[in-house]
Amino acid sequence: MNLRMVQKILGLMLAMFSLTMLPPVGVALFYADGHWQPFAISFAIIAAVAAVLWLPVRAERGDLRLRDGFLVVTLFWVCLGLAGATPLLISDQPTLSFTDAVFEAVSGFTTTGATVIIGLDRLPMSILYYRQQIQWFGGMGIIVLAVALLPVLGIGGMSLYKAETPGPVKDQKLTPRITQTAKALWTVYVLLTVICAICYYLAGMSLFDAIVHAYSTLATSGFSTHDASFAYFDSHVIDWIAIVFMFLGGASFALHFTVLRQRALGAYLRDPEFIAYLKMVLALIAFVTVYHIAAGVFPTALSALRHGAFQVISLLTGTGYVTTGFAHWPGALPVLLMLITFIGGCAGSTTGGMKVIRWLLVFKLGINELKRLVHPSAEIPVKIADRFIPTQVVTGVSGFFAIYLIVFGVLMLLLMIIGLDQVTAWSAMASALNNIGPALGEVAAHFQNIPDSAKWVCIVAMIAGRLEIFTLVLLLTPDFWRR
Amino acid sequence: MNLAMVQRILGLMLGMFSLTMLPPVAVSLAYQDGHLQPFLEAFLIIALLAVVLWFPVRHAQRDLRLRDGFMVVALFWVCLGLAGATPFLVTDVPHMSFTDAVFEAVSGFTTTGATVLTGLEALPKSVLYYRQQIQWFGGMGIIVLAVALLPVLGIGGMSLYKAETPGPVKDDRLTPRIAQTAKALWAGYLLLTAACAACYWLAGMGAFDAVVHAFTTMSTGGFSTYDSGLAHFGAAAVEYVAIVFMLAGGTNFALHFLALNRRSLAGYFRDAEFRAYLGILAMLTLVVSCGLYFTGRYDTPLEAFRYGAFQVVSLQTSTGFVTDDFAAWAGALPALLMLATFIGGCAGSTGGGMKVMRWLLVSKQAVVELRRLVHPRGEIVVRLAKRPVGDRIINAVTAFFAIYLMLFGGLTLLLMALGLDQVSAWSAMATSLNNTGPALGSVAANFATAPDAAKWVCAFAMIIGRLEVFTLVVLFTPDFWRR
Repeated sequence: MNLRMVQKILGLMLAMFSLTMLPPVGVALFYADGHWQPFAISFAIIAAVAAVLWLPVRAERGDLRLRDGFLVVTLFWVCLGLAGATPLLISDQPTLSFTDAVFEAVSGFTTTGATVIIGLDRLPMSILYYRQQIQWFGGMGIIVLAVALLPVLGIGGMSLYKAETPGPVKDQKLTPRITQTAKALWTVYVLLTVICAICYYLAGMSLFDAIVHAYSTLATSGFSTHDASFAYFDSHVIDWIAIVFMFLGGASFALHFTVLRQRALGAYLRDPEFIAYLKMVLALIAFVTVYHIAAGVFPTALSALRHGAFQVISLLTGTGYVTTGFAHWPGALPVLLMLITFIGGCAGSTTGGMKVIRWLLVFKLGINELKRLVHPSAEIPVKIADRFIPTQVVTGVSGFFAIYLIVFGVLMLLLMIIGLDQVTAWSAMASALNNIGPALGEVAAHFQNIPDSAKWVCIVAMIAGRLEIFTLVLLLTPDFWRR
Repeated sequence: MNLAMVQRILGLMLGMFSLTMLPPVAVSLAYQDGHLQPFLEAFLIIALLAVVLWFPVRHAQRDLRLRDGFMVVALFWVCLGLAGATPFLVTDVPHMSFTDAVFEAVSGFTTTGATVLTGLEALPKSVLYYRQQIQWFGGMGIIVLAVALLPVLGIGGMSLYKAETPGPVKDDRLTPRIAQTAKALWAGYLLLTAACAACYWLAGMGAFDAVVHAFTTMSTGGFSTYDSGLAHFGAAAVEYVAIVFMLAGGTNFALHFLALNRRSLAGYFRDAEFRAYLGILAMLTLVVSCGLYFTGRYDTPLEAFRYGAFQVVSLQTSTGFVTDDFAAWAGALPALLMLATFIGGCAGSTGGGMKVMRWLLVSKQAVVELRRLVHPRGEIVVRLAKRPVGDRIINAVTAFFAIYLMLFGGLTLLLMALGLDQVSAWSAMATSLNNTGPALGSVAANFATAPDAAKWVCAFAMIIGRLEVFTLVVLFTPDFWRR
């Protein structure tokens, strides 16, 4: 363990993060909302903490090793979650308790999008901007985590991607590889965000709304500047733009990168995970739309399709925007929509959930098992797109499923012990662990009314879900700390 | 596929089953309840049907092959479920619709124990006896299925047991092996039932009640002759007897056989699954008892333990006896108990659920995965009792989990689409799929108020759960029918 190096990196990360306090200051000055002070103070505080962390170990050289990677990743989300709460704590608009401020910041950084704030429309522009920006930077962090780090660390079968990601693969030297990958992918991320903002603007959003909603769309996070979320705009065009860009946010950014470089869409259709993702999205939209038409909730088939498609993609990708209160949709729909959050988007995207590729692998395992029952002596390997999947990857996914479900069950029971009813507890935990945002029952719109202890449980779940659980659970095992 | 042979076996099974209509006739005569006619009619109808099925193919003599095994097993539960409904249908006491009669019979045969009847105390003794007897015979079928058949068929990783079960192992010749195993295990089952009945009687039950409750205790079925279940007796001694024998029912019957053969209890404690089973039960009992005590449901720790231990054992072994309205317990307790039904008993027992063995393997796989992350180059494998478990078995277990949970999710959604609320829907599906009996919400005590369509979905789920999912699902694959 190279703790001094970890400390240095943490200091650097915080220093960089302190700089993100400056754009809100700019927004405050530009819109003259008189609310620049909290951000300036936060800048000073976070920069000072960063300096204190960094100065004693500034001369430290040496590469990060595998184990340090787990520590850095966890610290990134925990520390930045806490640091991100600073301006929310200092500001008196809104007045947030410590718990609420941390909840909001962690929900932002993990791109969950669950909020404890009501009355968004009356808040200063700078605060609104800051909330959206947190999510956008959270999304940046996730892309690096998901594309450059998790495959190398080999979390839950994700070593599958190890061979495919660009750049030199050297387990022992993380730093150069990550820098290189990060730069390439961030370019794509920024590009898509800009395009999304332009589309929103052309569709009729104000410039401010267009930019900040583009932030939370590509990060598949789901904060909005209005309590009513996308229902505020009530526009077909805006809804469809959001659908397209949420869908893109749920695809692997490595794949986007390849497509941009080759200037051909063929790469999408050659990727088995993307195809599965696309098919699933279409099937779910068709099902929800037909269900709506049968139940007669919306006046026309077209509006059923619009709201059905929006809510399916918003929840599957873990964005969590809402156009109507889906918690009150008829019959099985609310639960169906909450259950698909466990699937999530593709690996290497900004989404939460367990990821399409893992479900795909497990589904193939199921099919294989059925075949094996009929032909007991046949050797049937797991294949995806004609490529054999190594046994270690498959068993890795098995372990991932087990831990994910056990953590989900235990934390859900914990919420019930704290006093939430069953519907609220299971959906709040699904929402937190899968980084979604909205849920059912008492937390259908926001998390303000649940007890503080329940909020902390959700905070842990959001970080655990974001770190694909293993990264966090690993730090709790004695094996990790043994030398 | 050897359809003639399958038909012959089905005819023979129905023939034997028709004989089980005679004990209720005797009960009716002994207690003079004047209700012998329905059972005589049912005897004639089923016997006639058996002859019609058996006669044309009485000379079919070939051995059963692997594939035929799946057919026979699936048909056993489906056909006997339907045939078992006959005595309910040919009479007015109790007055039951076709749906209700089939639900009751299937719930009995699969040893689920969910009922649609209320006012049990007012029913004729012969009907009460018949319900309990169905479960007992269901339990017999399950033991053969679980110990002799599933390992050979290799359902969801259960080929693990293939090498361990006594008798000659020949995949292609099922019949002699099964007959031999069945005889040995039924002797154990019979002996334990007799011991259980004697203990109940000594604890203060009437002779009739003692015998029929022993039937449903050993089969972990859970039907009772009283609406209030075992709470009717209000005797701690009865409840502790029930706890011990429910525990025995949830244990692998091959282990009971060994213990009886060697006249030593050591075999139990050398079995990793049995130890895990006891460990889980002890932990849950502790949690639930503490929960009951500290939420003030019971005043003394002893009472809290009595009710806590009973409900934990009853639900985890999927028996489903109740001594208190556990759906009304505080906080997380109801959901925790319902979740425990997913664990279930040991493989090779009459218990339902996913089986302790599978949870053990999956948790071990999760730990292995964590250790692999710290030591990426280490050769770390899942071990059970110091012996490595093959990847193939781990994959099979994961596939089982995935299919089980997907079916659970899908069927729960179906129940919601049929109008059940979330809590009733998930718990009704859990109780059906895991063959438990009681649930929460509107189906907490019985299924009388559920819509007919929901009853069919639940009856279907009971059979799926009993057949460990794969046995039934494989019949729906084209591969199975291809020659």
